[in-house]
Amino acid sequence: MTYFFQLVVSGIVVGSIYALAAIGFVLIYKSSRVLNLAHGQLIAAGAYITYTLTVYCHIPIYVSFVLSMILTFFLAMSVERIFLRRLIGEPIISVIMVTIGLMSIIDGVIYLTPFGSENLSFPSFMPSQPVVFQGIYISYTQLAGVLITFLLIGVFSWFFRKSTVGISMRAVSDDQMASMSIGISVPRVFGLAWATAGLTAAAAGGILGNIVGLNFDTLHAFGIIVFPVVILGGLDSLPGAVVAGIIMGLIQQFASGYLDGNWGLSGTASLLPYIVLLVILLFKPHGLFGTHEIERV
Amino acid sequence: MMSANRWMATGNYFTTYRQEQRIFATHVDRLIFALFLVVLFSWPYFIELSTKYMLVIDNILIAVIAVYGLNLITGFAGQISVGHAAFMGVGAYTVASVAGVIGDRHVLITHAWPLMILLSGFMGAAMGLIVGLPALRLRHLYLLMATLSFQLIFQWVIGSMEFFNQGQFMYVGRVHWFSGQVSRSQHYMFWYYALLVTVVVCGLGFRNILRTRYGRSLVAVRDNDRAADAMGMHPGFTKVFAFGLAGFFAGIAGALQAYLNRGAGFETFTLHESIQYLAMTIVGGLGQLTGCIFGPAAIRLLDLQVESLARWAGEILPSSLDLATGLRPLSFGLVIVLFLIFEPRGIANWWRIMRSYVKLWPFRY
Repeated sequence: MTYFFQLVVSGIVVGSIYALAAIGFVLIYKSSRVLNLAHGQLIAAGAYITYTLTVYCHIPIYVSFVLSMILTFFLAMSVERIFLRRLIGEPIISVIMVTIGLMSIIDGVIYLTPFGSENLSFPSFMPSQPVVFQGIYISYTQLAGVLITFLLIGVFSWFFRKSTVGISMRAVSDDQMASMSIGISVPRVFGLAWATAGLTAAAAGGILGNIVGLNFDTLHAFGIIVFPVVILGGLDSLPGAVVAGIIMGLIQQFASGYLDGNWGLSGTASLLPYIVLLVILLFKPHGLFGTHEIERV
Repeated sequence: MMSANRWMATGNYFTTYRQEQRIFATHVDRLIFALFLVVLFSWPYFIELSTKYMLVIDNILIAVIAVYGLNLITGFAGQISVGHAAFMGVGAYTVASVAGVIGDRHVLITHAWPLMILLSGFMGAAMGLIVGLPALRLRHLYLLMATLSFQLIFQWVIGSMEFFNQGQFMYVGRVHWFSGQVSRSQHYMFWYYALLVTVVVCGLGFRNILRTRYGRSLVAVRDNDRAADAMGMHPGFTKVFAFGLAGFFAGIAGALQAYLNRGAGFETFTLHESIQYLAMTIVGGLGQLTGCIFGPAAIRLLDLQVESLARWAGEILPSSLDLATGLRPLSFGLVIVLFLIFEPRGIANWWRIMRSYVKLWPFRY
């Protein structure tokens, strides 16, 4: 039973990072209907920026964490400004293909840096002794990661509920034409959606880097699992992203805890999310919390 | 009724639907096509190319067949696929796993290879139909997610199953032709002709699909699925069938690749490769049949340039990095983004502009 709860705990840890990463993706989709395929690359960029600031610039990790969020905020904003602003009014399909191109470009840039091939880990800044509770282990880094994640999720839900900018972003996602007519600048909202997505992506990347270390393949795989998460939660639902993130974390932990090693299986944690995705698309295409479109094909 | 002069046409003057649906609009087009084919089939008798470049040309032709499929999905059905390399992988691994089970020198592999290639095509089509199924319930571009997960499931299955040699190379034997076994020195030349015939057959098939009732409903569904629905087409099945057809082309391309490389390995069917095929489709021109030929050629030549640039830079820079692994995705991504922003209709559009210039020459207006 301890083993089960251990899996639950680590599932929640990983899942909350998925949730944080998925929020950014949902945000972009909600406001502009663009599936941002380059989201995983934003996460990786955030993680590497945090690492660079901490290790090469000798900035305390707390500060560099915040700094990298700010930097990725502007990075994502300029990506939107340079590449996507020109495509407003073009069919969505070309915008999505541009994000596929961006994915490839950022991949290429990361492969050109030493980060592309090396395994790195953050200098430890927390007590390495794990917390033990009823035989369940959880490290301080994981604990801090979960706390920061939930804090950020709280801040964002406040931001969307109360602040003027957040409300205008929700308005744009609801009805672009109507929000334009009441004086909301739609291109500005798109830019902000990207920037906020960059911010959350950097936070997720930074936390992930601290917990599992920096390896581009791992970060890449992590970035792609965001897609099953958002499909499970419903593409346009922020609470859905959080719930689905945690469900996906649990699924993965249970898979690697109970399936691997039996029946000659291995690495099922990287397979199951995609099977879930296909099943969800077939049987419940709008996910757990997504808006149901009434018209059917 | 006076019919238009089909030798000296200066534009499209169709008066019946029948005329519009001709494969070749003018006799000049037909003549140019025939001449082009003659050149393609006869140049190896006059020019000797090294094996390296012969392989490049063969790879371009394989990519042309694959891009037929991808262009059908992306250009004509209006859906994005980022799993095209996986569909090719299905074809390649069909051949390779049959070879693995019955031995890579079995008659079925070496003599009945056209059958094997067709079988791979049908395997690819089956996978395409399965992956396309969500289209029955969804509008928009969610199918992108389905193709992405197919790509990743494929990578997992190949990479971790004993049956597929865990992604290591699986051998396929040399094939036989009427003149006996195709020797090592003739391998690439033989497959050049086999590929060329396949490209031409598939291309004519593709053009004819577009002329049929189904092909026109495909374009109608892409442009406005509600209107198409109202006119009695079934948007869902149209898209699912498009995925099946794309899988068929990809399966054939994959099987040919397995025969050409004399086996199948994991690294030629990854997500990066899928993106490369997407780049070919975009660069060539979405929804343009000629684009299926320009795109692969342009991207493969770019690939060659990038490789030599990486080798050149690797010599001067004191770096242990393999520059090509980074420069490749970088250049393909750039090409995708730049073409989509500045020339969304691809190289096929340049070809169109050139043709209309020649058609009207010397009277420009």
